[in-house]
Amino acid sequence: MKDVIVYAEHRRGETRKVTFELASEAGKIAAALGGKAHAVVLGPGSAQLAEQLKNYPLDTIFLNEDADIEAFLLDPIVDYLEAAARIAGPSLVLIPNTLSGRDVAGRLMVRLDAGMVADVVEVKPDLGAVVCVSPKLGGALITQCALRTADYGVVTVRPNAFAVQTAGAGVHVEQLAKPASRSYPAAIDRDVEEGAGELALEEAPVVVAGGRGLGGPEPFETLLKPLARALGGAVGASRAAADAGWVPYNLQIGQTGKTVTPTLYIAVGISGAIQHKVGMRASGTIVAINKDAASPIGEFSDLLVVGDAFRIVPELTKLIETAKGNLS
Amino acid sequence: MKIVVTIKLVPNPNAEKRIDPQTKRLVRTGVETVLNPYDEYALEAALQLKERAGGDTTVTIFSMVPDSLKEGLRRALAMGADDAVVLSDEALEGSDVSATAFAMAAALRTLTFDLLVVGGLTDDSSTGAVPGALAEHLGLPCITNARKVDIKGDGIEVERETDSGYQTVHGPLPALLTTALTFGEPRYASLKGIMGAKKKSIASISLQDLALDRPVGASGSKTELRSFAPPPVRGKGQVVEANDGLSGAQAIFDFLASKRLV
Repeated sequence: MKDVIVYAEHRRGETRKVTFELASEAGKIAAALGGKAHAVVLGPGSAQLAEQLKNYPLDTIFLNEDADIEAFLLDPIVDYLEAAARIAGPSLVLIPNTLSGRDVAGRLMVRLDAGMVADVVEVKPDLGAVVCVSPKLGGALITQCALRTADYGVVTVRPNAFAVQTAGAGVHVEQLAKPASRSYPAAIDRDVEEGAGELALEEAPVVVAGGRGLGGPEPFETLLKPLARALGGAVGASRAAADAGWVPYNLQIGQTGKTVTPTLYIAVGISGAIQHKVGMRASGTIVAINKDAASPIGEFSDLLVVGDAFRIVPELTKLIETAKGNLS
Repeated sequence: MKIVVTIKLVPNPNAEKRIDPQTKRLVRTGVETVLNPYDEYALEAALQLKERAGGDTTVTIFSMVPDSLKEGLRRALAMGADDAVVLSDEALEGSDVSATAFAMAAALRTLTFDLLVVGGLTDDSSTGAVPGALAEHLGLPCITNARKVDIKGDGIEVERETDSGYQTVHGPLPALLTTALTFGEPRYASLKGIMGAKKKSIASISLQDLALDRPVGASGSKTELRSFAPPPVRGKGQVVEANDGLSGAQAIFDFLASKRLV
């Protein structure tokens, strides 16, 4: 493994922050391995994204605006990534640990006969080997895994794990030839966006999450959303809130939901059962607001405020907005 | 129609896991083994399809599991699966995701099916890579994160969740499908189901039956676990009692300001 390849996930040119995190780190890893860093940008809107990626420490951006990327499910993406990896030669492929990133990674692992480590938060080149740090068993274990394959490695990287750092110049954009025709069996008939424009939960620097203590769907809109907006963050929920139908399941944090690692996590009316804890325990700072001083969330929060969330949250939102107003 | 569902047995996700500081191993005592939660949804999807299709549709469980644990699959049989096939072999111990998917695919090749339903993730190792890897090894169309499925003749129509909405997708059978949790809550086993499960077959396959052309287990893995440790201890922080909204808000604001988070 010498080179590093980043799969630049996007939807019609609209990129996820994790793509820039990967592009920032790729250069560093490649330098340590003595190789080059590349990104692969596919489908409609890629030219636009490639332009943005020129600000990152990459050597080559492989690009193809092939419309098949949006017409067929995943198969063309796997083909193109395999093609890019064959061009680069022995390399480490970085893929965002997102819903579609995971689907791509398992297949690419087989195509490249690669070693794979998932949900990685740190990549440490070590005497020719690549060691990956990743939490397992819901964060109960932090493992260090070495990729044993000399040729290819595939890792999925947890969003918010790497810092975004622009640098570099002289990135060279190369058209990636369409791989020889394979048949694409799964055709996409309709592609519907819901809740567009909202920050992806896993990538948000701040998450404001609500639980059973909120008592219904309205407080998610009236209490949590304004606070999240003031902090530049996203709204999440506990399983209890998702099960009750107060919020869609894609906001659920914890076991069978999403794992988030924001800089700041604010838990409102969430008791902090293990099933929630596993999805947020690696957050930078954890603040909880709860009526019950004895709720388990107090055991792993940096600050627990015992009180009425319905009164505290609006005041907090005001304080933050005022502070922001004073700065601008 | 023949449906196969893959099931993994995992340590109970609702139990707090810890590392024994002496042995540096996961403490297993008091942690029971349960069906991987994501696989329960996959099984629920398969059982719903069976009910809708009727006729001679069957649901077979496939699991790669140590022989000593395979009885744990009775729970899946009690939910309504017809029978189970397990791949058990001591030589599989320590397999990483690449070796696991390879061995599973080889065993699945010995079964015939129209649809292979796989949970999207496992609760313990959480690579999420096994479904895609199986599809590659078996040459199957791979449709992930399904929340609604219709079998239409020799094809499949799926509504699948994406990070930002949903898609409708169609493809041919046989196919591999992973299920989203919105497919529906997994059913509870009925008393009749529990009684009936005792008589259902759990057949075993060993590596000898498969004649693999690459090694599996720890030595056949492409990754090597160098070390593991518990996460940094997250101590109990400050606790502030707030008598009114403003004082609570001020306490949080000051705390965030001290950490330069606002």
